[in-house]
Amino acid sequence: MNLADVMDQVGDRADTIAGLRVFRYPPPKLTPPGAWVDYPDTIEFDQTYGRGLDRMTLPFVVVVGKVSDRAAQNQLGAYCDGDGEKSIKAVLESGSYTAFDELHVRKIEFDPVSVATVMYMGALFTLDISGKGTS
Amino acid sequence: MSTVHGRHTVITVNAKDISPYCDTSQLTRGADESDVTGYGKAAHVSGDDTLKKSEFTCSGKYDNTVSTGPRAALRPLVGTITTVTRKPEGTGVGKPLETFSAFVAEYVETNPVADHIAWSAKFTVSDDIADTTQ
Repeated sequence: MNLADVMDQVGDRADTIAGLRVFRYPPPKLTPPGAWVDYPDTIEFDQTYGRGLDRMTLPFVVVVGKVSDRAAQNQLGAYCDGDGEKSIKAVLESGSYTAFDELHVRKIEFDPVSVATVMYMGALFTLDISGKGTS
Repeated sequence: MSTVHGRHTVITVNAKDISPYCDTSQLTRGADESDVTGYGKAAHVSGDDTLKKSEFTCSGKYDNTVSTGPRAALRPLVGTITTVTRKPEGTGVGKPLETFSAFVAEYVETNPVADHIAWSAKFTVSDDIADTTQ
């Protein structure tokens, strides 16, 4: 798996969600609602013999309005739903990818996120991605 | 001499390379035990003229690759005798190569809800293991 290809393809797929501005890398600034594919926490090589399988944990961050905004709660609810046209899980897991074999949206953590010194309500999606190792 | 990493291991079953789908494997070389203790002894005495009895197991991540994926390669072999080769240190001139016939006793698929499908297989070695070098 090539990291740049993986991040690009995940971003491309998320960009099909109407109204969500998606970056394929951490952006310097952003107008909510927006999202970006962050760099992986880890890449684990050699999950099988012969470079058969590598695995990475890739964060995907969605930010909406301020923590105290009612609209932010509604927006985040749709993005964090397990199903629906704005569901990050449903949209990402139903995509077709060539840069890797499998994508599983494993969990979401919630926290205020700072973007260009502005604090937004954010949801951190943890993507479990696996694919053939390159050798 | 040096340690050798397990990731280099190469396994073929019925001439199909299943290595990319394996994350662990084990060849256990054993033999029957024979007790030849006679009267008057204070300890057991073992005989050494017994039959060898070996077992090979392997397991890993399920992959639906046609022909060489574990399901396609192993499931049809259950209950048959097949040929297994094992390169415990990987491919390279002078490195060990083990070749043996084996009865395919089990092929198991396990589906955890939060992880990849896993598979495992169990082989009973039939006749001697041929130990050579590549």
